[in-house]
Amino acid sequence: MIRFIIEKELREIIGSTKFAVTFGVCSLLIILSFYIGAENYRTLVDQHEAAKRENLRQMEGLTDWFAVQQHRIFLPPQPLATLVTGVSNDIGRMIEVHGRGELSADDSRFNEDPIYAVFRFLDLDFIFQIVLSLFAILFAYDAICGEKERGTLKLSFSNAVPKEKYILGKLFGSYLALAVPLLIPILIGCVLLLILGVPMSGEEWARLGLIVVAGLLYFGVFLTISVFVSSLARRSSSAFLMLLVIWILAVLIVPRSAVLIAGRAVDVPSVDEIASQKNRYSSQLFTEDRTKMAGYKPAAGQDDMEKTMADFNQFMQKIADERDAKMQEFSGQLNEQRENRQRVQRRVALGLARFSPSATFSLAVSALAGTSLSLEEEYKEAAVAYQRDYAAFMMQKTGMLTGGRVMMFRSVVDEGKKPQPINAHELPEFVFPKPALAGTVTESLPDIGILMLFTIVFFFGSYLAFLRYDVR
Amino acid sequence: MEQTPATQPMIEALGLTKRYEDETLALDNVSFAVRTGQIYAMLGGNGAGKTTTINIFLNFIDPTAGEARIDGIVTHKEPLKAKAKVAYVSENVMLYPNFTAIQNLDYFARLGGKTSYTKNDYHDVLRRVGLEDEAHTKRLRSYSKGMRQKCGIAIAILKDAPAILLDEPTSGLDPKAGFEFLGLLTSLRDEGKAILMSTHDIFRAKEIADMVGIMNAGKLVMQRTQSSLAGENLEELYLQFMAGSVERAA
Ligand SMILES: Nc1ncnc2c1ncn2[C@@H]1O[C@H](COP(=O)(O)OP(=O)(O)O)[C@@H](O)[C@H]1O
Ligand SMILES: [Mg+2]
Repeated sequence: MIRFIIEKELREIIGSTKFAVTFGVCSLLIILSFYIGAENYRTLVDQHEAAKRENLRQMEGLTDWFAVQQHRIFLPPQPLATLVTGVSNDIGRMIEVHGRGELSADDSRFNEDPIYAVFRFLDLDFIFQIVLSLFAILFAYDAICGEKERGTLKLSFSNAVPKEKYILGKLFGSYLALAVPLLIPILIGCVLLLILGVPMSGEEWARLGLIVVAGLLYFGVFLTISVFVSSLARRSSSAFLMLLVIWILAVLIVPRSAVLIAGRAVDVPSVDEIASQKNRYSSQLFTEDRTKMAGYKPAAGQDDMEKTMADFNQFMQKIADERDAKMQEFSGQLNEQRENRQRVQRRVALGLARFSPSATFSLAVSALAGTSLSLEEEYKEAAVAYQRDYAAFMMQKTGMLTGGRVMMFRSVVDEGKKPQPINAHELPEFVFPKPALAGTVTESLPDIGILMLFTIVFFFGSYLAFLRYDVR
Repeated sequence: MEQTPATQPMIEALGLTKRYEDETLALDNVSFAVRTGQIYAMLGGNGAGKTTTINIFLNFIDPTAGEARIDGIVTHKEPLKAKAKVAYVSENVMLYPNFTAIQNLDYFARLGGKTSYTKNDYHDVLRRVGLEDEAHTKRLRSYSKGMRQKCGIAIAILKDAPAILLDEPTSGLDPKAGFEFLGLLTSLRDEGKAILMSTHDIFRAKEIADMVGIMNAGKLVMQRTQSSLAGENLEELYLQFMAGSVERAA
């Protein structure tokens, strides 16, 4: 019995003109988002390579590692991050690394090129959010009340058909009829990635697979919501209206208001505030140290110029180190305070936003793509780790660390030899590890779970509502 | 298998009463019986309670009191068992507009438990209800109301159930189709079906019904066999029994 209902559902949906048109448009958008992702990736790789080359080029001709003032590292582009951009375009990609001092990331992609702000609306996350939900609503808003309007519900139930079988057949049938065809443009998109030569590791394919699974789950949420509303409404026009309102709430209003509400409810000191506090403290420390410097006296009876200079440098390094340590402690505290507040604010915002299946879906897929909010932290961590390598390297090359208001003397001993240029390629390379499959899956699990919960709730909601539905 | 006494009616209403949630008394202690090989015409104006009666037989609604029985099965107690024995033609069924007549027939035949029909069976039954061959494979969206009604009747025939319930089946048919429809009903009766048909078409009712009941405001106000109607003017009787409602409307 269920089989007949599922078969009928498949035939009815797929055979309709509405399906042909809507499916065509949805497919185009999905394929387009894959294409733009792939093209973007290639452009970004070029830009990334150029930026790295430029960084090394500006060191060309230097003969002393000490003279390296601007060493920059960059967040490398990743295929999945261009498909599901998440925060990857909002965060700073460039970090100027010094031997000591705090690191800060600058130059987000939006900053460099506002056109990327537009691409946000063509990434797979956004397209799925809009297309899958609308697709579900468009085909399921009249699943039940439409049949009632056509009298087919009465005719069906003049037969010995149990209501529970009918609604199960409806739910599974419409899901199959709509979800399976959607796999076609997705597969084409994947082939496009291959053709355009986007290098994807096995793990990345697996993560992309999971992103698609999350998409199908998200689609299931909206399909069950639609059937649920359809089995509450008497007329399909009112079901459609109601679903439109739900859609606007879920996709547009809830995620935004969650951020607004959290912003109001939880105060986080602004970056500028923090920066000015740090600056004040830093100046204070420096003023203190200046008196120390002014009081510096070379050891008496010393007339070896070399030795005097080395002593001075040592002194300078020492007070810089101390200052650094104090500064680090102070900023650490400030940063931690701010981060804690920010974490609370984020938790409130995300908690509220998760009332929207769209926001939940977005969180799940950006976690899988490695472009969730944690990307910023991971990048910082990788940069800090790199800073240690870099400091060790510089220490080895020059015997001291630059950065953080250190004044130092270098005697240029010209022994008649032409100084040898440094080889910038000796610099340790910054590598940003691709997010591991296990980690991204774990991060996305809560949101996948919430999507499942939504589906289950509305599945049973539809089931129960239909058992009480008046088929007349 | 349960032994059915020869006298047990196929379709039977016993003290059927329905009071809707809004207190409308739609049926008030209605009793009648339709036996195998009989056509029962339920006459009555709009709001008389005809559709309510048929809905109770299909368990779309529960009766407030009394019982509706199909072949002895109480419909609100064992709805699935009862429905297996009923074919139904509603007043205005649209069917699936994206399906052809054949596809509609196929789906509903399967739902009705008939899975062994062939394409030819579908063509035959569509011809029988008066649909031309070229219409069989057209989508229902291009059908007129009368053609859809014929398709609905074909679906009822395919179910091959011992009881047939029709709710104003001729309301969308033109006179010629209406006439053909009567022939169809008589042939079904002759095959041994028990037929309950609601209508406000007095002339046709008189022509084919073995039994005529007149309903008014939820009450069965008159019930006569065809033979006892032979000499009478049914139209006059009808108006006479409807007088109450006519006055109320005025
Ligand atoms: N769902 C309902 N709720 C309340 N009253 C109803 C409902 N359906 C029908 N009625 C009322 O019951 C009476 C009988 O209606 P119905 O059986 O449809 O009459 P008929 O089919 O003979 O025209 C009418 O007065 C109608 O308004
Ligand atoms: Mg009626």
